[in-house]
Amino acid sequence: MNSNDQRATIDVPSSSQGPENGRSRTATQDSSAATHVRGSGRTLPASLLTPPAPPPPPHLPDYKNIIGEGQVDALQFLARDLKGKTIKMVNSTSVGGGVAEMLNRMVPLLSELEVPTRWDVITGGNDFFEVTKAFHNALHGSSYELTKAAQDIFLMYNEQNRARMHFDEELIVIHDPQPLPLVHSRDKSPGHWVWRCHIDLSNPDAHVWEFLRPLVEQYDAAIFSSQSFARQLPIPQYLFYPCIDPLSEKNKELDDSQVQKVCDELGIDRSRPIVTQVSRFDRLKDPVGVVQAYKLAKKYVDCQLVLAGGGATDDPEGAVVLQEVKEAAGDDPDIVILDLPPWCGFEINAIQRASTLIVQKSIREGFGLTVTEALWKGKPTIAGAVGGIPNQIIHKLTGVLVHSVEGCAFQIRYLLTHPEFARRIGASGREHVKENFLITTNVKRWLLLYQILQSVKVQSGA
Amino acid sequence: MSDSPTPLPSKSRKPFYFNTSEHLLRIGRQKAVTLPELLQALKTCPDDSIFQHTFRTLQEHHFIRQGFSNDFAHWSLSACHEPLLAEQLASVDVREYTTVRGLRDRMIEILDEFLQQHPRTDAHHASEPFYFCAADILVLPTPFVADSLPAFVDGLKHVGVHSIHHHFIEARLRLHLMSNDFSQWLEEEAGLAKTADAIERIDIYTNTMEGVRQQIVRLVEPALN
Repeated sequence: MNSNDQRATIDVPSSSQGPENGRSRTATQDSSAATHVRGSGRTLPASLLTPPAPPPPPHLPDYKNIIGEGQVDALQFLARDLKGKTIKMVNSTSVGGGVAEMLNRMVPLLSELEVPTRWDVITGGNDFFEVTKAFHNALHGSSYELTKAAQDIFLMYNEQNRARMHFDEELIVIHDPQPLPLVHSRDKSPGHWVWRCHIDLSNPDAHVWEFLRPLVEQYDAAIFSSQSFARQLPIPQYLFYPCIDPLSEKNKELDDSQVQKVCDELGIDRSRPIVTQVSRFDRLKDPVGVVQAYKLAKKYVDCQLVLAGGGATDDPEGAVVLQEVKEAAGDDPDIVILDLPPWCGFEINAIQRASTLIVQKSIREGFGLTVTEALWKGKPTIAGAVGGIPNQIIHKLTGVLVHSVEGCAFQIRYLLTHPEFARRIGASGREHVKENFLITTNVKRWLLLYQILQSVKVQSGA
Repeated sequence: MSDSPTPLPSKSRKPFYFNTSEHLLRIGRQKAVTLPELLQALKTCPDDSIFQHTFRTLQEHHFIRQGFSNDFAHWSLSACHEPLLAEQLASVDVREYTTVRGLRDRMIEILDEFLQQHPRTDAHHASEPFYFCAADILVLPTPFVADSLPAFVDGLKHVGVHSIHHHFIEARLRLHLMSNDFSQWLEEEAGLAKTADAIERIDIYTNTMEGVRQQIVRLVEPALN
């Protein structure tokens, strides 16, 4: 270990906000990351080259217009019995990635409900994060040779973190495998220990899983994002779907003039049907398959294709995939390829709202939050039946599931020519998200879990 | 439709407390990838799994007007491609059962008969497994308490759809009666037996839960006059 390469932050204040996208942009922010990020012949406007200043975080009453007063009342009632009790969330990064993004929103809301919630981040050297990255891939099914050295590095950094952290809270939530061994502190802790696993454990490397399993079994409960991601364990396992924040820049309501302005800036023609896929330029998202499906559909129906994503700048493979997509698109003027910087949540929101249909033709997927975002905007959505997508899309009721380029092409044709059916599944999709995949639902799940764990402890006389 | 007018007391003897229920989904230990495996799991899974995949399905998908009755029927169609079985399972109306046991027995009976009549389906693997789940449930009060018919209608209009599900659908497992909390209160406290009966006949499978609420309000409102 080299003490100079410690890179994570610890004890992030619960009220801190991550790099949320906002509309106002500051002149002092670094724009170097964006200077060579551009689409296929479409130059992005200068306003997108710098990250925006973060908007103020929303508060609980702001959600009343979205989920209804009754649901906000339910949250307050659930929190009433937990008033003053404390939660600690622990993960391995304070910025970047879905977990940090979710905690940035979740932690202030729980605290606003008078359930003080602290978010701590473990530290580690590059060697630690190399090992945990390898574990992550192995748990997703890649083969990996688990060495004694890797195990030692993993345990040693966790011991260091454990030695300087306190676990005085009544509920300790450990996110993902990196901080799993912190559970060794549970004997000195009065609280319930819960492991929140955000990754797919359906087909893990056996050696890594058998190394981690005894740690998982020391928790009071485990939480997974899909039934299919879970393992057989002797502890209760709960289902918490990933969620979106309806008030974030990427999902908040926009008026038509805002949508129009973004489309004008990006060269998207709203007078004709728009089919959109939003995702990284990654083969597992099958952007080339989307171009093929669009070309098949276009023999029968007039439409444009927008492929909006990122990842081609900082990921060498992303750049290769982007080039493949451009080659597949050829010189079709109705295909718009946008390689957007990561802070363009507002623009993604506008593009999704301008779209007639949204496609997520993934070949492999975690949960697929871009599908959630599309459904939330009431858009008829076509998606690959993989990962957590079937939890969101009930075929022909909240969207349509496809298994091939040809199936995707057919559904594009069908939905563009049957607008009433498209409208109906779009409306049901939005209700499905409202019921299951909003951040307020997850706040409720945490409060429910806390109440349930507490009642179990009371019943068992602990 | 409304009952013949009977004098209503200005305040009922027993107020109606609008409650709601919140659920936390637990992932069960059983899963099925073939119909015989589903049959076996149906016989051995806990009662709360049967409840989850039948009664609770309606609540989770309260916004869908048609085509979603229970998870077993949905899986039979979407993953096993057995429309006949799916139709038979979907025709089971949870409101005809006052115990989970009775509902479980009916599901087993339908599936057992289907497998006997279609033995070749035994070996077919579903396109995705059926994962048995269950829910931990907490019943919560709402701010709405009715001690008169106008207050009852006001509560009906304002509570969340989960409260409607709690009182209208889940109630029969609590009451062990072919009735619901709304009908019981209207009959016993307001003397509105016909209205109570009409409410019990609302079709939950061709309505969203919001639609059910509106129908109940429409049936009760004439009695306010």
